Amino acid sequence: MKDLPVRVFRYNPNTDDQPHYQHYLVRVREGARVLHVLHAIHDEHDPSLSYRYCCGSGQCGSCAVRVNGEPVLACTQEARDGMTIEPLELPVHKDLVVDMEPYLAAISSLEPGGEFRMPTQEEVEAIKPLRSCIECLACVSACPALKVIEFAGPTAMREDMRLTLDPRDSSDRVTEAVTDGLFTCTSCQVCWKVCPKDIEIPGKAIEKLRALANEKGLTLPRHQEVEKMIRETGRSVDRAETTFLEQIPDVLEPYGEVKGTVGFFVGCMYNHRLPQTALDAMEILRRNGIRVIIPKEQICCGSPLIRTGQIGYLKTLQQRNIEAFVHQGIDTVMTMCAGCGSTLKNDYDCPFRVIDVNEVLLKFEIEPPARLPVKATYHDPCHLLRGQGIRTQPRELISRVVDLVEMPSICCGSGGGVRSGVPQEAAALAENRRKEIEKTGADIVISSCPFCEYHIREHTDRPVKNITTVLLEGYREKDKKKALKEGA
Amino acid sequence: MPSDDVQTAHVLVIGSGGAGVRAAIEASEYGETLLVSKTLAGKGGCTTMAEGGYNAVLREQDSCEIHFEDTMKGGAWLNDPGLVRTLVDEAPERVRDLLRWGAVFDVTDCCEVAQRPFGGQRFPRTCYAGDRTGHEMMMTLIDRLHSTGVSVVNEVTIVSLLKDGERVNGAAGLDRNGELSIFLADSIVLASGGGTKIYDVSTNSSSGTGDGYALGYQAGAELVDMEQVQFHPTGAVFPYDARGRLVTEAVRGEGGILKNAPGERFMSAYDQERMELSTRDVVARAIATEILEGRGTKNGGVFLDVTHLPRTQVESRLPVMLEQFLQFGVDIREEPMEVAPTAHHIMGGLRITGRGETTVPGLYACGEVAGGVHGANRLGGNALADTQVFGKRAGEAAGKAKTGKNKGDPVQIEAIRKRLEDVNRGDVHPATVVRSLQTAMWEGAGIFRNAADLEKTLGIIGHLKTLRLKAATPANLAECCIAGHMLVCATLVVKGALLRKESRGAHVRRDITQVWDGQNSPYGHTYQSLSREGIEMEVKS
Repeated sequence: MKDLPVRVFRYNPNTDDQPHYQHYLVRVREGARVLHVLHAIHDEHDPSLSYRYCCGSGQCGSCAVRVNGEPVLACTQEARDGMTIEPLELPVHKDLVVDMEPYLAAISSLEPGGEFRMPTQEEVEAIKPLRSCIECLACVSACPALKVIEFAGPTAMREDMRLTLDPRDSSDRVTEAVTDGLFTCTSCQVCWKVCPKDIEIPGKAIEKLRALANEKGLTLPRHQEVEKMIRETGRSVDRAETTFLEQIPDVLEPYGEVKGTVGFFVGCMYNHRLPQTALDAMEILRRNGIRVIIPKEQICCGSPLIRTGQIGYLKTLQQRNIEAFVHQGIDTVMTMCAGCGSTLKNDYDCPFRVIDVNEVLLKFEIEPPARLPVKATYHDPCHLLRGQGIRTQPRELISRVVDLVEMPSICCGSGGGVRSGVPQEAAALAENRRKEIEKTGADIVISSCPFCEYHIREHTDRPVKNITTVLLEGYREKDKKKALKEGA
Repeated sequence: MPSDDVQTAHVLVIGSGGAGVRAAIEASEYGETLLVSKTLAGKGGCTTMAEGGYNAVLREQDSCEIHFEDTMKGGAWLNDPGLVRTLVDEAPERVRDLLRWGAVFDVTDCCEVAQRPFGGQRFPRTCYAGDRTGHEMMMTLIDRLHSTGVSVVNEVTIVSLLKDGERVNGAAGLDRNGELSIFLADSIVLASGGGTKIYDVSTNSSSGTGDGYALGYQAGAELVDMEQVQFHPTGAVFPYDARGRLVTEAVRGEGGILKNAPGERFMSAYDQERMELSTRDVVARAIATEILEGRGTKNGGVFLDVTHLPRTQVESRLPVMLEQFLQFGVDIREEPMEVAPTAHHIMGGLRITGRGETTVPGLYACGEVAGGVHGANRLGGNALADTQVFGKRAGEAAGKAKTGKNKGDPVQIEAIRKRLEDVNRGDVHPATVVRSLQTAMWEGAGIFRNAADLEKTLGIIGHLKTLRLKAATPANLAECCIAGHMLVCATLVVKGALLRKESRGAHVRRDITQVWDGQNSPYGHTYQSLSREGIEMEVKS
């Protein structure tokens, strides 16, 4: 037996003006789950606590709550010391009980057609990964899009795709999905990461539905323009100034001893819109003994095509990019765009290793920069945090040069084709980011993705910088101090 | 009573598991149907937790006659043969309904529903969707329910049935806030599921509190064989708070083997022929005996091992098991599970006809709350089939019932209000009563029974009934009523166990020696109602 201090959200809309948090010290056994803590509170401390549960074994989806902000199933999540238990981000009936009914009702039902045909083994296998949903609504709670725009939600999209795969259903679920907000998803992947059944909704449902929508001619006009541009220019954004690739030699030798070599996949945004940021990164690498090979034949990774369901030209891009690096005999390719990195890692079958710049910098034990008297907050790019599982590395690097204040990891709204396709949603999400940035009181915002940096920059008055730029500033400060010392 | 608290329909279905939803779907063909669920419809009940499968004769090599014999033999011939006949004959058509409505069962490469072997059956006739078969069925049924005109009332706990003379004509329930609602209908289908939550170790969901047995009994219905409680052989033992969690029979169906702590494959000592795939009563007793005789693991279980199976088989056929055990730090591909028996299913229940009629006019029952289908021991895979076969039949019969004018009886409703007000004045937290009950039942009315322990248990239940419950807030009123239902359900189980002076199927009386086996038993059903109780004597030809 052990005593756990926990904090629980309490709210009775009939009697309370506003929610409050109640602290409890709860006695539970080894291995107890969050649900057992709730039982203990209800049975031993406070029977007025309301919470929902049924099966107690992760199969019915009744008991989802947020623990320290993350949606989990209370019955399967192990209870932790000091945890905060809150309801899902849905309208609260009382305490931890939320109104699930409207969302459950919005999920489509199969409508049998005239002639019955059993699904084949192949069809069953295709449906299965989308079928284990227990409708706990963890994904609905976490989805940033449906907080700012009309959207049926991730699991409704999942069901639309499952029905599309089923020969017994007679309705046009693709058109339905488009009407229900298919193009409002930013591909942030939070729905997948919080899903207790690990259902890959963005890749297995949303992008697939978007591809089917494309076949029906339902792709958004702005997305079609991007596709056209990629076909014509090999790039997804237009150029503003001299591109990165035009300014850089094929091989960048480091200043000192060579500690390692990486190929660099620059991506459209750093090449065309933010070349200086990529140049800053090159400077960091050179200073730390990393030789960089930059094949000039590289083009768009295809991420904008995959995310918007326009996959006709994808194979060509994949082949050309892989060849560009293989041709130079490169075994490790570095990305610094979170979107490109996630795409190369997850949507390519690369004959080389793909590694993010944050991973590279930690791997090679870089020289410590000077500390800057700056308070910074860090924006987790979705395609870095969830797409590549990179959470600690950027924080470690940032903490070496400035003071880091955390803020919640929420999508900024720039991904999934939303910035171009549904700009009012992208702006609303960025506004949410702005508020969080404000709360931290940070002087600057640091990120590690050109899309996020570019987008957030438009919505906050704080400077938004790439990690490598901040590191470079740290080095410059160090050099300045050194020069001053030597001069003195 | 203000009129807005009253809802009327042609058919009222109580319960939202497999049987209740199936009944509602069917009843809606005949008239306005209302489904009241204690939980969010589809999420409560035990169907959604059922993992292993659904028994149906689908192949030429198999036959309904063999399914019938397997079921009768498995049930120690205590089953009603007519109900069993209906079950086996109609199970195939009901699984086809589910397929038409979109159920995603595993299929063979010839596009036929795949089937796996289950305990006590001579043919692999258990259809499945991985190890989430019940969940698959529930998703399908709820889908279908949405496309009917059935009105669903979520999170209302029925606390009493209402009567008009001899006939049941409605029910009273409490909502989330403790407000009383009245439902009136021409026929009422009780599909409230089982009640093994009366035991300390149980596979049941929060809704397995025996409400339907209590509601039916109090409304005058007769119940049969309530002593017949199935202890599933394999429930999880760790962590303590999740003890009893079902480890599906499909684990053994896929080839899992049982070993005691010294590593012996002990089933050979209990059923050399069928080994791990013997019937559940036999396997549960074998495991319990191994543990009692000191050959259990330190967590109080035995080992269930699938590490010899190909990893891909475990991953594709038992994904839920794999995931659940991983959460508790056990990779079943690498190490054995630890399991022990857990209270799982009540074979007894309201006495029904093949049309789901109970002994009280206007009241129908189907699914686990009904008795007679499974006799003294249920075969794995027969419960899901039962929900569909008898859910449809009860829904149909209820739907075909005559329509009339149903009035709530103010005297009965007032009495219910009075009872609820008393609950506000009590002093004992229902959770305390429930815990005491669960311990007493596990200790005194478990796998191995004797008259002295049963009498003692009955005494404890009697004492618990005298305690005055307290509802801390109006929202806790339902909890108090449910505790009351559990006490009634437990009483029925223990009294049934005392009435049956023989060992048969899942019911083992260690204080009685007998010369007969199930097939030659002089006894038939035990029966209990407000007006009579006893045990039927079989007339042997």
